[in-house]
Amino acid sequence: MKKLILFIIIISFISCTQKKVPTQSQLELQKETKPEKPIITEIPKQSSEGKQGVIREKEEIYSEEVSEGIKKEPAEVKSFEELLIKDIYFDFNKYDIKDKYKENLHRLADYLISHPLTKLIIEGHCDERGTNEYNLALGERRAISVRNYLISLGVPANRIQTVSYGEERPVCEEHNESCWQQNRRAHFVIIKEE
Amino acid sequence: MKIGLTVILVLISFLKVDAKVYVDITSPGFKQLPTALYDFVGSEEGKKVSSIVRDDLFYSGVFDLIDTAAYVETPLPVFDPTNWLPLGIEIVIKGSVSVEEDILKATIYLYDVVEAKKLFQRKYKTKKLFLRSLAHKIANDIYNIITGQKGIFSTKIAFIVDEGKKQGIYIMDWDGKRIKKTGITGNIILSLHWSNDGNKLLYSSEKEKKWKIFLVDFKKRKTISIYSSSGLNIVGDFLASGNGFVFSSSVAGTPDIYIFKFKNKEIKRLTWRDGIEVSPSVSPDGSKIAYISDRTGTPQVYIMNIDGTETKRVTFTGRYNTSAVWSPIGDKLAYVGFLNGKNQIFIIKPDGSGLLQLTKKGNNEDPCFSPDGRFIVFTSDRDGKKRIYIMEANGKAQRALTPIYIKAFGPKWSPYKK
Repeated sequence: MKKLILFIIIISFISCTQKKVPTQSQLELQKETKPEKPIITEIPKQSSEGKQGVIREKEEIYSEEVSEGIKKEPAEVKSFEELLIKDIYFDFNKYDIKDKYKENLHRLADYLISHPLTKLIIEGHCDERGTNEYNLALGERRAISVRNYLISLGVPANRIQTVSYGEERPVCEEHNESCWQQNRRAHFVIIKEE
Repeated sequence: MKIGLTVILVLISFLKVDAKVYVDITSPGFKQLPTALYDFVGSEEGKKVSSIVRDDLFYSGVFDLIDTAAYVETPLPVFDPTNWLPLGIEIVIKGSVSVEEDILKATIYLYDVVEAKKLFQRKYKTKKLFLRSLAHKIANDIYNIITGQKGIFSTKIAFIVDEGKKQGIYIMDWDGKRIKKTGITGNIILSLHWSNDGNKLLYSSEKEKKWKIFLVDFKKRKTISIYSSSGLNIVGDFLASGNGFVFSSSVAGTPDIYIFKFKNKEIKRLTWRDGIEVSPSVSPDGSKIAYISDRTGTPQVYIMNIDGTETKRVTFTGRYNTSAVWSPIGDKLAYVGFLNGKNQIFIIKPDGSGLLQLTKKGNNEDPCFSPDGRFIVFTSDRDGKKRIYIMEANGKAQRALTPIYIKAFGPKWSPYKK
């Protein structure tokens, strides 16, 4: 716990220092988004699932800034971005991208190309019916399908990272097809770098 | 010198001839051995020890334990075979356990009714704390005399428990008792694999959106991250030599099979496909790898040589076959097949013959053989929640090992204790 507090203080200090002398890239970032927006942004989904690890840490950092009296309202999600990073869905045990999602992926590719300071994490997910290890590979393969598609549209490969959660992070926990359908997905997280 | 050696050899061959096997467990239709097992006397602990021995022998499937009400002698180490012959009982086990401060001392007697002789009289001593270990050791010794094979009663099962926000690695005895947390946790933990000496454990875990392979050294009480890369890394078995391990990684594109060597930390790629190749399992002789590939459009079990050559398809029934593991002598594979909307455990010979379905109720996954190949431990949700189950390797005598209040999965049976 002590370590965490120390970490938070250090990070707050760093972010304060950065605010005093904004770099060119930060100025650009501020133009696009509201000031004080956390560096890593995950667009909130209806479900609270999938928020963890790096993102949770950053949220804790953010709340620390609030207590220091430099509170700003959390950045609102632009509807454009929301549309841009909507999940896309797959058939059972498949990893090919359906045509109906391609238009959206084109928009996502355009966005990434025109915003060189962003990185994309693609999370691959599966429904609960398969076995854990295979599902993990299947989730990864789904994320790779999307990654390859974006690369084919001109997004540099080094800006797209994949991660699979297999069947471990469902958005819907019932045991029926309408639920499984929602869980067989690729989920997008955009990271804005300094 | 020469004479001395000859004498020893003669002695050994004499002992071999003398070593009678009471139950030949290698024969499929063996008959259970009618056995009288007395509660051990001398202390309260005695009864606890004999009750654990009784469970071990009962669940081994080798002994037909006759109800204590039928016993005709006192529990003292006095034995008269004529008392037992009319009852059809062939083996009699008696024992006593004394307690001195925190030390347990046990003396166990094993009698053969038919040949009218004492098979052994053995003394044991341990700390009171290790009462269960003592009982399992006694059961192993009895089992070994009767079958000529090593008992599995001192082996352990490692498994994963969902602790809510985290998952942790736990270890329990083969009978589901003494469940212990190792303290090793992660966001998601998968794929436990014991080293051949039982001192190390490999696993995969996701950390900060990266899949890493970790190596636990139980002797040094240390866990290290041994391999990570961009994309997915799911660890498979140790190599038979123990010099490295197999794993599936998407480091160079899509999930393919690789070998990692501890020396030089080098990796060698074995498969080169655009689809999914995952869950590599090394044959006991170290010469082959069973794994899962979706090259035909559905996941199926394949076998290739350890260098990646000569791939052969094993499963042709069903459209979703995954999680293949070898039996300890390499004569069978257990795997998970998707049937009527549920996952079930099957066994098959490496040549694709001898297909047999072992489970029917609920979803059944993560099969793993006991080190003697007579049992399979697995995960089932048949009672509503994922728990660890055990069955005989032919599917008989299925029962839960872990309690209903914990969500447990991914069991891996340890090798024999060394």
